[in-house]
Amino acid sequence: MNNTSEQVPVTVLTGFLGAGKTTLLNRILTEQHGKRYAVIVNEFGEQGIDNDLVVDADEEVFEMNNGCICCTVRGDLIRILGGLMKRADKLDAIIVETTGLADPAPVAQTFFVDQDVSDKTKLDAIVTVADAVHLSNQLGEHHEAEEQIAFADIVLLNKIDLVDDNSIDNVKARIKKINPYAKIVKTNRCDIPLNEVLGLNAFSLDRVLEVEPDFLDSDHDHEHDDDVTSMSFVSETPLDMDKFQTWFGNLLQTHGQDILRSKGILSFEGKDDRYVFQGVHMLMDASPMGTWPEGKERNSRVVFIGRNLENMGLDEGFEGCKLN
Amino acid sequence: MSDREKFLEQKISYLEPEETELEGRGKELEINAPVTGAVTIPEAVVAGFGDGTVRFFRSEETPKIIDAHHGVVLCIATNGSEVFTGGDDGRFLQISPDGTITEIANFGTRWVDTVAATKDNMVCSSGKNAYLWSSGNTKEKILEHTSTIGGMAFDRNGKRLAVASYGGVTLWEQGNRRWKSSRLVWKGSHSKVSFSPDGKYIVTTMQESELHGWRIRDKVDLAMRGYPAKIKSFAWVGDIPHLATAGDHQAICWPFDGKDGPLGREPVCVADCGKKISTFIEPLTGEKAIFVGFNDGTVLLSEVDDRKNPFVVRNPKGYEISAISLSSDRSYILIGDLGGNILWSPLWAN
Repeated sequence: MNNTSEQVPVTVLTGFLGAGKTTLLNRILTEQHGKRYAVIVNEFGEQGIDNDLVVDADEEVFEMNNGCICCTVRGDLIRILGGLMKRADKLDAIIVETTGLADPAPVAQTFFVDQDVSDKTKLDAIVTVADAVHLSNQLGEHHEAEEQIAFADIVLLNKIDLVDDNSIDNVKARIKKINPYAKIVKTNRCDIPLNEVLGLNAFSLDRVLEVEPDFLDSDHDHEHDDDVTSMSFVSETPLDMDKFQTWFGNLLQTHGQDILRSKGILSFEGKDDRYVFQGVHMLMDASPMGTWPEGKERNSRVVFIGRNLENMGLDEGFEGCKLN
Repeated sequence: MSDREKFLEQKISYLEPEETELEGRGKELEINAPVTGAVTIPEAVVAGFGDGTVRFFRSEETPKIIDAHHGVVLCIATNGSEVFTGGDDGRFLQISPDGTITEIANFGTRWVDTVAATKDNMVCSSGKNAYLWSSGNTKEKILEHTSTIGGMAFDRNGKRLAVASYGGVTLWEQGNRRWKSSRLVWKGSHSKVSFSPDGKYIVTTMQESELHGWRIRDKVDLAMRGYPAKIKSFAWVGDIPHLATAGDHQAICWPFDGKDGPLGREPVCVADCGKKISTFIEPLTGEKAIFVGFNDGTVLLSEVDDRKNPFVVRNPKGYEISAISLSSDRSYILIGDLGGNILWSPLWAN
């Protein structure tokens, strides 16, 4: 509608138990930031200081009845965001804390699936707080830890004063291998200016154009089948739009459960515009984003983050979309 | 688009819509908070707002403002004489016609999401529990559910309470000594819930842009689908009722007469409003007619008869209609939207 005021940004705060999420939340609630935030927490039991609003929630993951196997949403978020949007005073941002073992996908999917939520709020970014000491072990042992890294737009590598430089490099390499798009910031006690974790606009399609992924040399030697990794593809040859849509649609239908996040910028034959997409499991947001910049070469770039990526025929599939 | 169509569209967008009859004789109020709901008691129409206030509207008087909640009035109900509200300040309140507030319960940072009331019972929900106060008992009864409650409704004689949540409806029946529950199951998340006036059916709105119904006697399922948007409002209209529902470009009215209700039958579709989506339905008491509010603020009045044309009661103001309520004697109508605009108008010309 033409006079709907701006969507309120929602930041999702994930992180394994003990990583330092509460430290960051406390900073958001106690610092003099002059902004009005609502913080949705699980059994936090504390009141906001400095004008902030704390809302208690249970994580309630709902399966949608639409036949899409991985389409789960957070029912409590739909209800609470709806309630917050009826307030007379405008909120500057909403922060959603998830429990340590939560999969971030249902939170992200809520913003794709529910019309009222996506009309009035927007997913700003997924911020993952990771414990520099324990992350490597947690990644080996818990799916959820991998998922939280895989979904992150920014990873706060916390407690770095407790580890040496070598270990930091190792854990950073580990994170990059799962998610080359995530920005990694080293912190102690989550000491990062709040404007570097809030208001990132990471889920907007134009951000896909701006962030250059930091790919490492891929090394497929020591992975378990269920390790989360990323694969990326680049093509100088323009793509055939019909072929791409068919392939990509089928891919998400059949492997959406294993593809956690996907992003891409596409150059289609016969189209002046850049096409940008980003997806969470089977759900996707896509749009033409203006013409290719003058003097810059047109190429298509696609990245997938997920499990079992090497068994999806991604290479051949993407190759098959190129114009003959 | 042809040049002619372009021209026509331009021309239409320049035309100021003509003031409707109701707008002409009514009062327009701008309140700096979304209207979240409204109910009717004998003395007034009572509306709740996003700034925590409750306002009593009485004929020509200036509305009386009551500071009820510290945040949003999330839900509002009446037992016919008193008003009950729940808020995001965790409080469940009873408000008398003279504006006196009684705090019945306080759940702290937990919101009170839904309320319902009859002459002898009042109930509110916070999270997964419903808290029920029955007359004669000072202590509330806690009705537990496995997921957060989306909506609650009593049947007409107040002996049964339907509670909607994830996976279906819990039906509570008042026995001689206690409330007994049974479960009506349907996959998905259910929110608003209502008994048909004859008490034979229960209907819910769902997260999935559809309605679900059960014939209580044999738990036969009734799926009512095909909506382009979530159904935010429904209402029973007429003695042999239709269930008039929002969530489409018009109002979809399902027949609940006969033995099998809407089973295998087509709905009556009225009050078509082009591309707009209906968000609120209110019956014109005593007639087989409904007020239909839309997401751009338009309100149409239509008979539940697809051969009749609707007429415009209120022009669009750009905000979704979130409340329509008639005074108990049908002399006044309140229309409210999420932009905080209220139209309070005599329903009939003198």
